Amino acid sequence: MSQTETETHAPATTYAPKTHVLKPERSNLGALRPDHSKSVLIDWLTTVDHKKIGIMYGAIALFFLFVGGLEALIIRTQLIVPENDLISAQRYNQLFTMHGTTMIFLAVMPLNSAFFNYLIPLQIGARDVAFPRINALSLWTFVAGALVINFGWLLQALQMMGLFEASGATAGMTDMVPAGGWFGYAPLTSTDYTGVGTDFWIMGLQILGVASLTSSMNFIVTILNMRAPGMKMMRMPVFTWMSLVVAFLIVFAFPAITVALGQLLFDRTFGTNFFNVAGGGQPILWQHLFWIFGHPEVYILVLPAMGIISEVLPAFSKKPLFGYSIVIFSGAVIGFLGFAVWSHHMFTTGLGKVATAAFSLLTMAIAVPTGVKIFNWVGTLWGGRVRFSAPMIFSLGFVWMFMMGGFSGIMHAAAPADAQQQDSYFVIAHFHYVIMGGIFLALVSGIYYWVPKMFGKMWKGNLSTWVAVLVVVGLNVTFFPMHFLGLLGMPRRTHTYLEGFGWESYNLVCTIGSYILAIGILLLLVDLIRCLRSGEPAGDDPWDARTLEWATTSPPQVYNFAKTPIIPARDALWSHKYGPEGQKITYEDDHGHGIHMPSNSWMPLIASVGFIPLGLGMSLMQAGVPYMGYFAIFGLLTVGIGIALWAIEGPGGYHLHPEEDAA
Amino acid sequence: MKTISSGLSRFIQYFSALLVVVLLGGCNLDTRMSTFVTKGPIAEEQLSLFMITVWVTFGIFIVVGGVYVVAIIKFRERPNDDRPMPSQGHGNPLVEIGLIGASVLLLVVIAVPTLKAIWFTHDTPDDPESRLGSWYGGEELAEEEADNPLIIKVIGYQWWWAFEYPQLGITTANEMVIPAGKVVHLELRSVDVIHSFWLPRIAGKVDLIPGRTNSMWIQAGDNFIKWKEKQGLEGEGPELRSNYASYLEEEIHNYYYGQCAEFCGDSHARMLFRATAVSDEEFEEWVIDERTGHGTPDGKSWDDWYAAYDKNPEQLTGDLNEGLKLFMSRAKCATCHVVKGNPRALGVAGPNLTNVGSRMSIAAGWLNHRNEEDGSIDAEQQYDNFFKWIHETDVVKPGNLMWKANGGGIGELIDENGDPDLLTEEEIHKISLYLQSLK
Amino acid sequence: MSDTATATHDDGHAGLVIENKKLLMWLFLGSDCMFFGTLISTHLIYRKLYPEAYDPLTVYDLELTSFSTFILLMSSFLMALAVSAMHKGELKSFRRNTIGVIFFGLIFLACQVYEFAHFTNEGLTLSTNTFGSTFYLMTGTHGVHVAIGIFWLLCMYFYSYTGKMDAHESAVDVEVAGLYWHFVDIVWIVIFTAVYLIEYI
Repeated sequence: MSQTETETHAPATTYAPKTHVLKPERSNLGALRPDHSKSVLIDWLTTVDHKKIGIMYGAIALFFLFVGGLEALIIRTQLIVPENDLISAQRYNQLFTMHGTTMIFLAVMPLNSAFFNYLIPLQIGARDVAFPRINALSLWTFVAGALVINFGWLLQALQMMGLFEASGATAGMTDMVPAGGWFGYAPLTSTDYTGVGTDFWIMGLQILGVASLTSSMNFIVTILNMRAPGMKMMRMPVFTWMSLVVAFLIVFAFPAITVALGQLLFDRTFGTNFFNVAGGGQPILWQHLFWIFGHPEVYILVLPAMGIISEVLPAFSKKPLFGYSIVIFSGAVIGFLGFAVWSHHMFTTGLGKVATAAFSLLTMAIAVPTGVKIFNWVGTLWGGRVRFSAPMIFSLGFVWMFMMGGFSGIMHAAAPADAQQQDSYFVIAHFHYVIMGGIFLALVSGIYYWVPKMFGKMWKGNLSTWVAVLVVVGLNVTFFPMHFLGLLGMPRRTHTYLEGFGWESYNLVCTIGSYILAIGILLLLVDLIRCLRSGEPAGDDPWDARTLEWATTSPPQVYNFAKTPIIPARDALWSHKYGPEGQKITYEDDHGHGIHMPSNSWMPLIASVGFIPLGLGMSLMQAGVPYMGYFAIFGLLTVGIGIALWAIEGPGGYHLHPEEDAA
Repeated sequence: MKTISSGLSRFIQYFSALLVVVLLGGCNLDTRMSTFVTKGPIAEEQLSLFMITVWVTFGIFIVVGGVYVVAIIKFRERPNDDRPMPSQGHGNPLVEIGLIGASVLLLVVIAVPTLKAIWFTHDTPDDPESRLGSWYGGEELAEEEADNPLIIKVIGYQWWWAFEYPQLGITTANEMVIPAGKVVHLELRSVDVIHSFWLPRIAGKVDLIPGRTNSMWIQAGDNFIKWKEKQGLEGEGPELRSNYASYLEEEIHNYYYGQCAEFCGDSHARMLFRATAVSDEEFEEWVIDERTGHGTPDGKSWDDWYAAYDKNPEQLTGDLNEGLKLFMSRAKCATCHVVKGNPRALGVAGPNLTNVGSRMSIAAGWLNHRNEEDGSIDAEQQYDNFFKWIHETDVVKPGNLMWKANGGGIGELIDENGDPDLLTEEEIHKISLYLQSLK
Repeated sequence: MSDTATATHDDGHAGLVIENKKLLMWLFLGSDCMFFGTLISTHLIYRKLYPEAYDPLTVYDLELTSFSTFILLMSSFLMALAVSAMHKGELKSFRRNTIGVIFFGLIFLACQVYEFAHFTNEGLTLSTNTFGSTFYLMTGTHGVHVAIGIFWLLCMYFYSYTGKMDAHESAVDVEVAGLYWHFVDIVWIVIFTAVYLIEYI
């Protein structure tokens, strides 16, 4: 049995080991493991440290946030006046497809992952995730998927310059970038109607699916198995709980789209008839499979944001979360019910009275646990002491804007009313309120909250106020008029519109709003850069927060906790600071074992890189490029070999002894 | 770092609210495709249901939003705040249960009318005033169907609409005509990708999916019984009927705008359609017109005309004859289009062009030539539209099969050497005049 | 330390209900369950919608398929023996049983390949209406899962000769492989019932 000690603080300075334990060692393969002390580049490429992986997810996600935002600005500029010809119809269709796909899969989900990766081990008192190398694999596979799905832009540029023309299965088609919408309805996505862009879309999403699935399984094992002693499930921070629910949602929802994409791939490449009407296929099957994934997907997007809010609001109200158990239970109920409502995206497809009624009622039902969360957040504020720091402003904004988005969701739930709203700008208004007004504001709140912890630097000045004003004003000016646009009959996914329908002034206002929003987001980037370059040292607990990650240094040591903490209560740090004597965090004695750290490894990177030839090969084959089938097989073999070597090299590991070095 | 003042945060809230008011106040809701000013029972039912959801959510917004704003203001940290730590309450199960109960109740308030509306909008009702039997008593209509609602088959193509009236033996395209106050049953299907039929002032949308047939019913205006109910009137009689007819004429007879509402490819944005609601008499006239079709430009019989066309086409002179000759020959229009009456214009790949000269728009509602003030056709604009459509089909509708279809399109015309040999402006001029004459 | 502990040093344990690698495999199998479930559902939906599209009884050979099903079941039995052998550290027994699993797995795959070739000769291809599409994709995916399993077991078999496998180090790893193999077998039972047997009712 371990003995507790009275030491209650982690070292205040960054640990630099004096011992030689970081000398590169040999793996079971006989090769040298990567030496993470020599080259910063190699260290980051081969790292298995959840914190570094989290930062990389975040940086890449922010990059794609800007890419998706640029795509949106072009879309809005095209729509600023009727019959505008800034871009062609094909380009517009590609832009809205890529905007949706980029924002959902390459911006929001990876930003969520950034927070999962960085925070979960810290919040449960662990040193890393259960499978550090799988964690690295998830990151690099995400990068591979992002490259494959955007490769079409390069091909499109070549095509426009006359240097490339599709042949083979997609001969005569000129669209090289996905243009079937982020939801890719069949049969529009068959080779009869779309070109190689759709193939990039399919392969890119499949690869991204691998990344998400491996990551989620890793986190479930981590959360269930690697909590510090005393960190019972009902003492975990809400963010970790929501991450657990999200991970389960991913595990059970992604297979549906994997199958759907696989079936579409086979239709396009091997002539099957899953969605091919002439061969007996039913296009509506695609919609069912897609939305069986797609609806849980939106809860995958929003539950982490709700987790962030559930951390920030209590911290800045100096009160615990109102109704902790119920908030967690609601999250689980939302996740569960999320699988039961998918056909509310299909109310206009002729489901029949009974199915329409059933999905309508279930969709209304899911408003209850969502509402419960909002009530509980308000209840957290009530009776507290509200500090309007930067993270809090954005969380407060979330509660307001997400509520509005939830209301338009309830309006959609009434199926006959939805018959007018579906496929119009009303839907665009609804989901942008929940995604941007909701999820995005929560993520920005999380950035303002946790960046000081991650980088040890505090924010400078009051730019966050301007970010908040511009973003909130921009969001409302852009998306509120869209409710009216939709109810006045403007369909979505239209690259232009005629005069005389009463849509001109609304579109003008929306476009102006989008520019205001863009400036706000740019200012966020500026603020972030200023903080990272010249912020004051943040200290361990700059916000006087409640949860365990704030009990480490800023930034945390590579090993997170020098000794394993023993958790006395929920909101462990708060009870340590302000609770009674018996409720302090204590630490296990490690009996001189030191801290066991996982070794860096090349294998996850090698395996992930193999996904690129696989994805590009399968797609370019459809464009008639010769030998691409072999290229794809080469990619698959690379993945396989990477994994095999990974299994054989063994996890390795090395030990750190911070106390000895400090002595 | 400094924190944002509560005053500024309040400003943000109020500014957003102000925006809402400004936007609401400055808008006209009676526009071409508005769902707010409805002209039929289905759209009306859908709008009522929508307004219920608006009021319920507005109520929740005021209450919850109100508590929220009060909490932020009342419990904000003051400068130099040295009050004790707030009580670390963990929740209140009673409050939770109460709020859950209230939420469920409010949802029931929405759910009950939702279920009613689903049933109402789904099944095509009988039409007590059907005049199907009187409009047409020919072979296509069996006697027992004489009292059935009118059926229109809506067939979606990339990027136009075919409207077939199987009971009446006619087919038209892009602009449907329906009798006001009567039930119209629609059967919707697509031949290529998924489209969606959306005529907002009359009804919410239903999708056209290849491989299956969806159905819906629409009705422009209330029928006589419902109209009486709304006016609080009873009984029968010529005066009542005349008032009802006036109601239909003033409020319902109109040229309604619709659009495809499911992304269907490059020109999805340009796949519009129209529905004109007319009186029973006008409808009958229209049906007869459609069934009659067209004669030759100079009055000959079609057999005589073709006899001349086959042997001595130079004999057929005049712009309209020239246009028709091009229609049948170099421009290849007849391979894809039907013109009723013309025994050799039987192509089904493109829209039916019978009476195309009477339509208020072409290119599936994209090129318009209707005078807003009196509903008549602006002949000059109509000519320009025909010209533009034939001259630059690919610009008007990118990806269009009329322009490019594996060698068969008018954008792919070549001479004996294989060089491009598109229609000249003079040729297009004549074809346009001919098409204008089809009314 | 008990052999249910993690292979690396523990950094924190609130009590492991299921050991890390096993839990990971269970999660993967849960996901794979949804995956196969979707494929099989697609097949069943299309059978229900279009029973007349194809009559599989013209090509099905129930004896052969029953035989291959039996072979796969037997392979699972041998797999259980292999797991038990590794738990006791009996390397020779482990190797024997593992080779048995591989051998039976290969027989199963051979039967599948033969069946596919036979069906194709009889005119049932991937493009033959919806039946061909769903049948081949579903059973083909299963076959790929079996092949991956065989490859994995082959790697384990050869690794057992390096001296780095024993009851302490590798019991969990073999158990995890066993879980995977049993799952693949159960999926086959479901496919056999829902795709083959159901046509005979």
